[in-house]
Amino acid sequence: MSFVAVIGKDNAPMYLTTSDMEQELDLQYHVHAALDVVEEKCLIGKGVPESKELYLGLLYSTENHKIYGFVTNSRVKFIVVIDSSNVALRENEVRAIFRNLHILYTDAVCNPFYIPGESLTSKKFDRAVQKLMSGNA
Amino acid sequence: MQIKPIITYSGSCPLFRSLESQILNAIPLDTCEWRRTFQRPTKHVRLEAQTLQFNVAPLEKYKQGDWSILEHPILHIFVTECNDVDTYKATIREEIDAWLKVLTSYGISDWMILLVETLDMRKTKNFMPRTTVLDKIRLDFGTKNDDRCISVLNPAKFEQKSTESFRCLVQRIRFLMLTSYNRNIVKYEELIRSKREKRNHEGWDFRQYFFMQEDLALIFEKLELPTEALIQYDELDAMFSQFIMHTGFNEKQQWLSHFKRPLSAFHGICLTRLDKFEMREKIREEGVSLLEFRNYLFERQAYLLLTSNEIPEIAKRLLDFLFSTLREVEFIKLECQEGALCCWEFVCALEVLQLCEQAMEPNEVTCFQHCAPIWNLAKDKLYELGKLCGLLPGCTPTSEQLHIVVQLSSGIGDAPPDQQQQFLQATPQLRDRSPNRKPKKSAAQQLKEALGSNQAFQKLYLELAELAISTYKHVTRLRSARLVGLDLGNFYCSLNEPHKAVGFFTDLLRELKAENWHMLSSQTLLELANCYRKMGDSLAYTKTCSSISCCVELETLVRTFYFDEFLKSLKTLKTTLSAQPSSENANFCVLEDHFRILDIEVLNQKPIIQDDHVLVQLKVESLYPRGIVAETIKLCYELQATPLEVAMENVSLTATPSAPKVKESASRLKVELQLVYKQDNRLHSASVACDMPKSKQPVRRTSSTKRKLSPSVQGDFTNFVQAENIALQPGVNCIELKAKATRVGNWQFKQLCVSMSSLEFLSEQLPFAAPCFEISTKPASASLEFKTLIAGIVQPISLNVSGGSFIFPPDAKITLRCSKNLRLRLALDTKDTPPRDDATFESLLQVPLLQFKSFEERSIALEVLTDMPGRKVSKHHELHIALSCPWSRTELQIPIEFQPAMEATCRLHTCGTQKFLQVIMKGLDAHLLLHHAKVKCDVPGVQLLDLNPMPQQPIEIYKSLTVTYLYEIQVEPLKTEHELPIVKVHFVIKYATLTQPEVWRSYGCAFDLVDYTTLFKLQAQLEPNELCRLRTVCNMNLKISKVHENPYTDLMYEVLNDQNLWAVCGRSAGVVSMKDVDSHSISLDVMPLSTGFLPMPSIRLSKYTAGGKSKTDAHSKVHPFPPGQVYNSTKSMQIHVIASVAENL
Repeated sequence: MSFVAVIGKDNAPMYLTTSDMEQELDLQYHVHAALDVVEEKCLIGKGVPESKELYLGLLYSTENHKIYGFVTNSRVKFIVVIDSSNVALRENEVRAIFRNLHILYTDAVCNPFYIPGESLTSKKFDRAVQKLMSGNA
Repeated sequence: MQIKPIITYSGSCPLFRSLESQILNAIPLDTCEWRRTFQRPTKHVRLEAQTLQFNVAPLEKYKQGDWSILEHPILHIFVTECNDVDTYKATIREEIDAWLKVLTSYGISDWMILLVETLDMRKTKNFMPRTTVLDKIRLDFGTKNDDRCISVLNPAKFEQKSTESFRCLVQRIRFLMLTSYNRNIVKYEELIRSKREKRNHEGWDFRQYFFMQEDLALIFEKLELPTEALIQYDELDAMFSQFIMHTGFNEKQQWLSHFKRPLSAFHGICLTRLDKFEMREKIREEGVSLLEFRNYLFERQAYLLLTSNEIPEIAKRLLDFLFSTLREVEFIKLECQEGALCCWEFVCALEVLQLCEQAMEPNEVTCFQHCAPIWNLAKDKLYELGKLCGLLPGCTPTSEQLHIVVQLSSGIGDAPPDQQQQFLQATPQLRDRSPNRKPKKSAAQQLKEALGSNQAFQKLYLELAELAISTYKHVTRLRSARLVGLDLGNFYCSLNEPHKAVGFFTDLLRELKAENWHMLSSQTLLELANCYRKMGDSLAYTKTCSSISCCVELETLVRTFYFDEFLKSLKTLKTTLSAQPSSENANFCVLEDHFRILDIEVLNQKPIIQDDHVLVQLKVESLYPRGIVAETIKLCYELQATPLEVAMENVSLTATPSAPKVKESASRLKVELQLVYKQDNRLHSASVACDMPKSKQPVRRTSSTKRKLSPSVQGDFTNFVQAENIALQPGVNCIELKAKATRVGNWQFKQLCVSMSSLEFLSEQLPFAAPCFEISTKPASASLEFKTLIAGIVQPISLNVSGGSFIFPPDAKITLRCSKNLRLRLALDTKDTPPRDDATFESLLQVPLLQFKSFEERSIALEVLTDMPGRKVSKHHELHIALSCPWSRTELQIPIEFQPAMEATCRLHTCGTQKFLQVIMKGLDAHLLLHHAKVKCDVPGVQLLDLNPMPQQPIEIYKSLTVTYLYEIQVEPLKTEHELPIVKVHFVIKYATLTQPEVWRSYGCAFDLVDYTTLFKLQAQLEPNELCRLRTVCNMNLKISKVHENPYTDLMYEVLNDQNLWAVCGRSAGVVSMKDVDSHSISLDVMPLSTGFLPMPSIRLSKYTAGGKSKTDAHSKVHPFPPGQVYNSTKSMQIHVIASVAENL
């Protein structure tokens, strides 16, 4: 996993981190562009509110990366970029990553001192995400 | 390669051959219902077939489990034209029997016996039932398979009559073929499964397996089941990937080495191949590279998708196909020339794009959703190749690079030129989009041309980039489109056409800024700055430098560099700006990019008075890395449209010291404490609740709003507060802005404008509810406030002064002038001060307004005192106070009313000839002490004797309490009433309030005594005097005697009895003359009507004037005497009445 992004409901980044500093900008551009697909998928999902799946699956892939998406009920998006070379990673594991990320995020925003919509500066959250990222690198 | 199900024939082969073409042509003419096993849906299938003479060899393979469903005969037909039962019995039966035995020995039950009738048996009616050959055959072989034995009229001989029977035959053949497929497919699938199980065994060869399963796919395809065919290919695809990626280096997989051949050729996929199986043969015969194998697999999948009309799926699968193949190539470490894979990807991408473009309507968004990234990929790959081959702008290929181009070009290969369109024509839904357009060059050709020259390369690159952008836009993936724009912009930059790049960069910048991707937007700014510098657009360059220097995401070094650039450029701007007329408002910048408005606070006390100065404290954070001087800072304000109440609220918010926090908390959730009590008031539960209306969402939405890069609207700057030449340090600055309040009204701040040189930084929108302030002018006023005032004692009254917008001089005062009998003084605050003398009351009072400020409201306590009115008057005292105020020249007269504290009345009482004066003091509103009551009479000969007890203690008097003083009047006999018709008596008393018992004030009252002499005396007597009985007539003697000489001669008496108590018998009134008589006695009969002590019937005596002769006063007149002139000595006598005797009985 080379990039993790938490993006607010207004599409502004709330938390961005990467393990690949050299490609950081490039990845950010791609994550930003992936929002297009997120919006597309959310639009399709709007018709059926019951079977709402938070996990959006593969948003798109490039030669080197696969970009996966997840959107919470409050329209906060998680985007994870995974190296294409990591073929061992299965869909289920990606789901698990998002589930964990969702839990971490929920814990972080449950902090009464956190103002909804602001960027996530919690060190604990950062540490946990870094751990999550290195665990699946 | 032909794929047609095989039918074998045996028996009378020449006969069959004569029918063969007719049968084979007839089979595809109609469809047949295919009932499939395992509840799969039935399907109508059009079949084809080929025929072979019966041969055991394929059956041998079938038995060994080494067969292919493609080559396996699907139906075996035995043909005979034997019409003679005997011949049948002699030879044919055995032939059939032998044939069937062979089949059974191979486990095959897909057979059919065809009896061709050359003679029309039905004509001859001498047949016995069950004696025809067909019957015999059925009897012998078709006990269970009745339908497998069929006869047909030879169509060669009975052209007309055979049609029906021939149709039945063909239908039967179709049906039996499908039945056979049902069986054989299941069997074949089992075979495939068992083969697959062995895939890790030694000697297992993927290629064999591949063909085996592909045969099934081909059969499915033949049977018009493309999706099921596709499943076979997908399984093969997945299996292959598995091998490569997971078990790739296992020694057992020897077959893998076949695919490991170096990639000397890297042809892309070709979706317009004429011979679909060209590659299949090659795989089988020579072996192919991984790339070729993959190509073939994808082509097949694409073809099947195309037949099932799922073109978008082809596009969807492409990228996955490309990327996974790349990974496989990498994984098994295939040798290949640099750039070869790029070429391959490019050609594949373009091939699919051409297909989609031709096949799809523009509104089929799903397809274009997949196409857009493919365009982008093609663009990227071309760029990579351009870089490799020295084709990028500004480069010229070296000889080495030219060599690479030659090598790549040969590796790309050619698409067979005349094979085009063939593939497309097979599918009816494809059409030529624009007939006028030149036929598109094949992907390979385009690539070769592009690699051929720099110009061609640029042209193709730009074309692809534009197509990628427009396709992304078409499917509303704007962000992606902008990202492609970034590449395109960079390309234009390297083409040295920065003016073309600017548009793409600004689009991207807008998108990124709108969604607060600061890091990316600052990068884009750097690109833009580069462009503007190259273009020589100094204004835009200056603005961009300024923005960059404020990007906190960038490194300080970069920021300071651009800050210096900004300052440098700013200096030169003045001259250049005047030189080149740029578009309007080009010098506007977005203030929010450079400064952050933290707080705006009005420093004045509210409200602001017209012509005063408005002072505003602006707290602004400068994002510049160093200090900078702003020439002017203006904050404009506009008349407010919202109601005043809200505005005032806002002012009060900002006035509190914690103002910024209040603003921040606007985005916090409003959480409230909720306590729920039980019925007995004990706490049941405590909770917090967030009762937030949906309309007020805490999070601001910006995604939909398109944020401008440069504001084009300057607000109305007719009213503004400003500061000049302000040095703004990095971080928070507090600036005081000032202006004269000229116009009255409620104002709200709208826009902030910071000017530096010729640049104007304008705010988009103030980040919080802009504070409001009021400029006003208001008249001053003064009024008196009092409750019911009581005359005679000190009363509080307050002077209320409302300052308004009047500016008071330091020695301002209000003069109060009282009307007569009214005096004022200032009240003292403390109660401990000794009571002051009444002399401190003045009728003209000056109230100083010390330090009186505008809009102050002050209440000044005064005390007012007025004399108690001497006589009882019906009206209240009406007095007034006139105010003269510093702001007005006219006097303001305020009427003021008093009610008396008490009132005095007097009554004259008579006892025979003695006269008494009773003074009654009636308490009203005040609570007072009375003391030293005195009467005075200055009339000579009149003496007043004080009958009140001595010495007098102060007496309290209050509301509804009366105090009475009694005096006897003695008038000297000589002084008759003739001489003194009126005696004036002065009553004087001292009073004090309970609160100030030591301050005694005087109250005086004058009474006029008239008719104070007794003229007549009345006496009444009842007889019998004792024991009056009820309803017994008594005699009442009335005696009127003259006491004092007087002029009244005719008197009238009336008995005024209570009708319940007394009844007068006879006359109750009469007139007597007192002329020359001193007394008169009258006797009347009265009867008591009630028992008990009854009051004597009262008698009224009046002056009587008899009516005269004249008409005018024909009537007699009766005038009552005033109470002092008649004395009734028996007035209050009571008579004891007892019950009558009769009643007692």
